[in-house]
Amino acid sequence: MAELHIIGQIVGASGFPQSSLFCKWGVHTGGAWRLLSGLKEGQTQVDLPQTGDMAYWSHPIDLHYATKGLQGWPKLHLQVWHQDSFGRCQLYGYGFCHVPSSPGHHRMSCATWRPLGSWQEQLAQMFVGGGPQLRNPDLIYSGADRYRLHTEAMGTVELELGVIMRHFDKYGVES
Amino acid sequence: MADCWNTDTGEAVYRSRDAVKNLRIKVRIERVTSTAALSQHLQQQVLFQQDRGDIELETLTSQGQTGDNEEEVVVGWQEKLFSQYEMELFQNEAACQTPLDRQYHAEVKALNRTKGRRNHRIFTYTDHDRYTSCLPLHQMQSGDLLTTTKSSPTFLAERMASVRHRRQERRTMDCNIPKTKIINWEPTEEFVKNSHVVNNAMQTMHIMGDLGPTGRLGQKENECLLITIKTDGSGTVIVKPDFNKNKEPYRIVTDRDRREVWRLTVENISTTMKPEEKDREQNMYKDLYVRHKEYLNSLVGQDFEMPPAGILRYLMNGEIVSAKGFEYDNLYIHFFMELPNNWSSLPFQPLSGVTQTCRTKTLEKENVALFSYPFNFEAFYMSEKESEESILQWPVLYFKVLSLDSWQRYRTEGYGYLLFPAMPGKHTVTCHTWRPLQTGTSSVLRRFFIGGSPELEDHSYVRIPGTFKGERLSRFGFCTETTGSVTFNLHCIQQARSFVDAAMLKKRRQKVFDQLGGFSQQGAVCNILEAFQRARRKMQEARESLPRDLISATSQLQIESSA
Repeated sequence: MAELHIIGQIVGASGFPQSSLFCKWGVHTGGAWRLLSGLKEGQTQVDLPQTGDMAYWSHPIDLHYATKGLQGWPKLHLQVWHQDSFGRCQLYGYGFCHVPSSPGHHRMSCATWRPLGSWQEQLAQMFVGGGPQLRNPDLIYSGADRYRLHTEAMGTVELELGVIMRHFDKYGVES
Repeated sequence: MADCWNTDTGEAVYRSRDAVKNLRIKVRIERVTSTAALSQHLQQQVLFQQDRGDIELETLTSQGQTGDNEEEVVVGWQEKLFSQYEMELFQNEAACQTPLDRQYHAEVKALNRTKGRRNHRIFTYTDHDRYTSCLPLHQMQSGDLLTTTKSSPTFLAERMASVRHRRQERRTMDCNIPKTKIINWEPTEEFVKNSHVVNNAMQTMHIMGDLGPTGRLGQKENECLLITIKTDGSGTVIVKPDFNKNKEPYRIVTDRDRREVWRLTVENISTTMKPEEKDREQNMYKDLYVRHKEYLNSLVGQDFEMPPAGILRYLMNGEIVSAKGFEYDNLYIHFFMELPNNWSSLPFQPLSGVTQTCRTKTLEKENVALFSYPFNFEAFYMSEKESEESILQWPVLYFKVLSLDSWQRYRTEGYGYLLFPAMPGKHTVTCHTWRPLQTGTSSVLRRFFIGGSPELEDHSYVRIPGTFKGERLSRFGFCTETTGSVTFNLHCIQQARSFVDAAMLKKRRQKVFDQLGGFSQQGAVCNILEAFQRARRKMQEARESLPRDLISATSQLQIESSA
């Protein structure tokens, strides 16, 4: 049985059209993985930066997994939302990255994209907000049906993750 | 003769898991008078000359008047010892205002009825007394910090002194933060004072000494702070000044008309835990940890999936991050993996994929499309004969970037390939792409208006064509145009059984091929060597266990036979 610790934070996001953002995040693993302690999903606070473009959350991630196999390595999925001054929430992007498999400190940027509707919907989105969302968020980390989507590129989310692995070398795993 | 004093009166911080009520301190103060100094000096001289037997000791022992010049008291934590002043104050019932005063009044009356208090000069201020938090400010106002006497305490110092150092309830940091009231929209004055200023909730105790002249105890001016002990609830104890610990005593100089010098000795006499109890505690902790480990094991199980022996498993978790610098908009990427000889993969493993179509955005003068497309890949490598191949061939990922616009025109934007990295770990790879060109304006016009463009039939032409057999690859006459680049994030893991053996024998891993194939040879040689060593040892043991005369008899026989 090997153990994996993921200790880090979601630092913030930048590059989005507006800056009052919050993020819903979650970690998805395969069947052989077992979460021993920590919360594997959550939502950050809404941050409105006064200067500059980057919204900072500094949201902690602290997970302890135990596993029986290498398949289904944990993946982190993110949804970035925008909250405007009226309190309405609008989707700004879906993003995805694998948790690094080599031990140490990693600073990662996760790119995000947003689904596009028809041109009428885009026009309405410019005025009223809203816009299409994925019916099933599993699409973010499966990738099988992605070819049907038409998306547009949005900003990036910065993450800092520290990975500690235990007993993996006893089973001949080299990373 | 000058005594040496300990001038280091800084605080010392101790940490202990024991409850603070077990703390016991022995405090001793002695007045340094001229006669005492002289007699001590003479005694030392006598001891020095004792072997000569000149002076008798009896004449030089100083007696009398030691009763009031020294005192030794054992103080426990938050033990209230009354001073002469307090005894007189609390005897009078009219002076008692708070419930604490009344309690002291009762205690003083009880003490008077019994044999009186056991301390004389040394007394204590506990946490509940009203003088305890005033003392630091009092000391500060007397110009302790700076040399000029005119400086008044700063705004922060005043605020800190007026904050009552109460013991707040422990707020655990886990998930017990109340969900309804995270923000305090109307903080009170008290709340602001407590949270803007450093407020470590410490319990304090002061041990004071009344250093007045003999017979005139009980004056407030003669009180002097000897020792301060502070603790927070979690095992930190701060003692100022530190215990003497076989060093010289501290010196206290009273600043009145008659300057007197007192000696202060502090000692820690708390009972330590007996060794059996310590052992028992250690065993309990060990037991707890072992049980926790067993519990963790039971949750998941001990087994781990391993590939069969002699097979290397290569796992890649990757994502296509972005594509930038391409001509048109609405890009998507179509990729597939190719496995060379000796590589295999699972039957249901998808080896190709298509990303979503992404509209680019402008970032630093370039158009970037962000895909964030995950893919997983697992392949197995089986080494057959080591002598045949010298280079291990890794799998390749071929991809092509295409654009599809709203008029349903689609164009090739570029071809590229990515060789799977040989070293495990995290890799960020940027691959540059090109697209084939046809000379002449008709193809350019077609590409612009209708949207067709030349494509490669055999994708592996990007790297080494599959039909290539020979030594030199020539692409002479093939026209291409450079287009943009695609970025991948790859996390590679390799797993093999021989890595376990290598790790155990502490060998450095060089080439994977060596480890898989060549290692079996090395392993075989090692096995043989070990077997030889074992056999030799057995023979030596057998030889030693034989009786001596048998050996000599056989050797004689041999000599005879050879002769």
